[in-house]
Amino acid sequence: MRARLSLILLGGLLAAGSSQAASVYAGQSKAAAVCSQCHGIRNPSADAPFPPLAGRDAEYLKTAIKQYRDKTRVSDVMNAIAGSLTDRDIDDIVSYYSKAKP
Amino acid sequence: MKKTIKRRLNQSLLASSIAVLLSSGVAMAKNDSPHDIYMNNCASCHGADHGGYLAPALNADTLKGRSPTALRTIVMAGSFDTLMPPFYGKLSDDEIRGVIKHLQETPKQPNPAWTIDDMKKSIKVYVKDESTLPAKPTFQIDEKFENLIGVAARGKYGRGEGSKAIFINSNTHQKVGEVETGTAAHIIDFNPANPRWAYVKTDTAEIFKVDLYSMKAVRSIKTGYNGPGMGVSRDGKYIMAGSFVPHNAVILDADTLEPLKTFELEGVDPDGKHVSSDSGMIIGTPYADVFAIALENAGQVWIVDYKKEGFPVTKIEKVGRHLHDAFLTHGGKKLMVASYDDSIVAAIDLEKRELIKQLPAGCVPHVGGGAAVKVDGRTLGFGTNFGDCDKMVVSVWDLDTMEVVKQVPVSGGTESPAAHANAPYVAVDIISKDRRARTIQLIDKKTLEVAKTLDVGGHAYFPEYSADGKFLYVSAGYNGDEVVVYDSHSLEKVASIPMESPAGIFSRGRVKYMTRGLSPDEMEQGK
Repeated sequence: MRARLSLILLGGLLAAGSSQAASVYAGQSKAAAVCSQCHGIRNPSADAPFPPLAGRDAEYLKTAIKQYRDKTRVSDVMNAIAGSLTDRDIDDIVSYYSKAKP
Repeated sequence: MKKTIKRRLNQSLLASSIAVLLSSGVAMAKNDSPHDIYMNNCASCHGADHGGYLAPALNADTLKGRSPTALRTIVMAGSFDTLMPPFYGKLSDDEIRGVIKHLQETPKQPNPAWTIDDMKKSIKVYVKDESTLPAKPTFQIDEKFENLIGVAARGKYGRGEGSKAIFINSNTHQKVGEVETGTAAHIIDFNPANPRWAYVKTDTAEIFKVDLYSMKAVRSIKTGYNGPGMGVSRDGKYIMAGSFVPHNAVILDADTLEPLKTFELEGVDPDGKHVSSDSGMIIGTPYADVFAIALENAGQVWIVDYKKEGFPVTKIEKVGRHLHDAFLTHGGKKLMVASYDDSIVAAIDLEKRELIKQLPAGCVPHVGGGAAVKVDGRTLGFGTNFGDCDKMVVSVWDLDTMEVVKQVPVSGGTESPAAHANAPYVAVDIISKDRRARTIQLIDKKTLEVAKTLDVGGHAYFPEYSADGKFLYVSAGYNGDEVVVYDSHSLEKVASIPMESPAGIFSRGRVKYMTRGLSPDEMEQGK
């Protein structure tokens, strides 16, 4: 029993360590540093013109951020900010916002 | 696939409607001069006189040599780890360029006037007939109406829809009401004589009289351009408020908010120079019919007898260099005033109306609402320090002997301590601008050591205990957008209350324990 448990734990750790797995915690801290100024850590300001991100579809968020980064979708502000993000950052941020409750 | 297309469509619809909204907003604002744009968007934090307030001074002198492009970026994207919000989409690019040019050309302005007549004209009445208000609270709360907590929710922009005073039942952690304040709520004071009234002061010096039973603003008055100073008299009949801009203070009728007398704040500072002065803290004491007001730049504390004809003033000079906030001890007979520039806390005897002693504090003392606790027969005062220095400490003084007991090392600058007679820890907020800003530290009352660090998230500040001492409330601040509640003994997180950019937290319990951490008996001694 104990052996099986540690196997599962080990599996979990390995998955978290692999480059594919996104971390909600890292995403929250990146979101707080990069996105929350405009989009809020949960919701944007009641009277700000920025779209909410919390609870949005993960695939959509990922595509949109990557388009901003590649400049295939044009916005002065978003192109500049998304330009600083790695694939890993984007996965983390998407993981955080798509799981956050608006 | 179909689903994705639909979503895209919705997205583009949303985007275009936002674009329409934005362009209409821009069209509406087109006639505004850069000066108007500054006054309507920036002045509440940066000062109507361009001299700074919560945020840095913006004028020809302070912005000399700064790149307009770099400044434009800050205005558009906001400044991380500060309250500065992004104005992208709120102001057009031309407007932002215009404001920056205007700021780089404008010198700091002389103190604009705000006279007693301006104040009178600014009074707004929202509820004409107060007898129409409910006779008891319209929401669930304890019999004594004590477990009520008010939070100054600033809103991201320090104004607009997000700016309100939010009230919470501190037993159930449910929101029980909110009052929109136009600009950011800054200070909430409760009436010590009649539990139904609270007074909310905003960044732009409006004071709202709030009926807590119905959670409605009843009246408001604009007492100046900015400044946090506000106190309520022990009989609940008077309010005194003071401003940074202009340099005056006013006594109001707490019922009607009519201004009764204004005071020009000026005097000779400890270095012999005659100066005009910002208003620091104002406090009503349970011990007598007086207000105490700190004159920041003049380094004086004035005591005003509000029951005497003409509101006479007794001036205590040479208290310190740049006074700010304070707390009461000894049944309200003694006042501990923080002085920034000489890093001392000055003990004032309100009865004899004289300076008792200047105590070493730390690096730029900011005592917030102050905290004092009784441990093993001693009354200990706790002083936070918000400077960024080599040595970061919270000072602990024996308030009977007026000696330093200990300087407790903490992980950064601090600005507000919280304590409660029934809680084992004194909580202090770490405000140093890096990851430490997410945390608060808990000092064990007995050992006077940091016992635990809580990672609250956001920019955590302004801890406050519920009136019964069972719960510790902390604002996760900007980038946090929630108030987090902990069990005051186990320090387990028990609740989260979402709101936009919460700052100061004020328990209604404050009216019964004078200074946070003391038992209500301490207050009775003074009466």
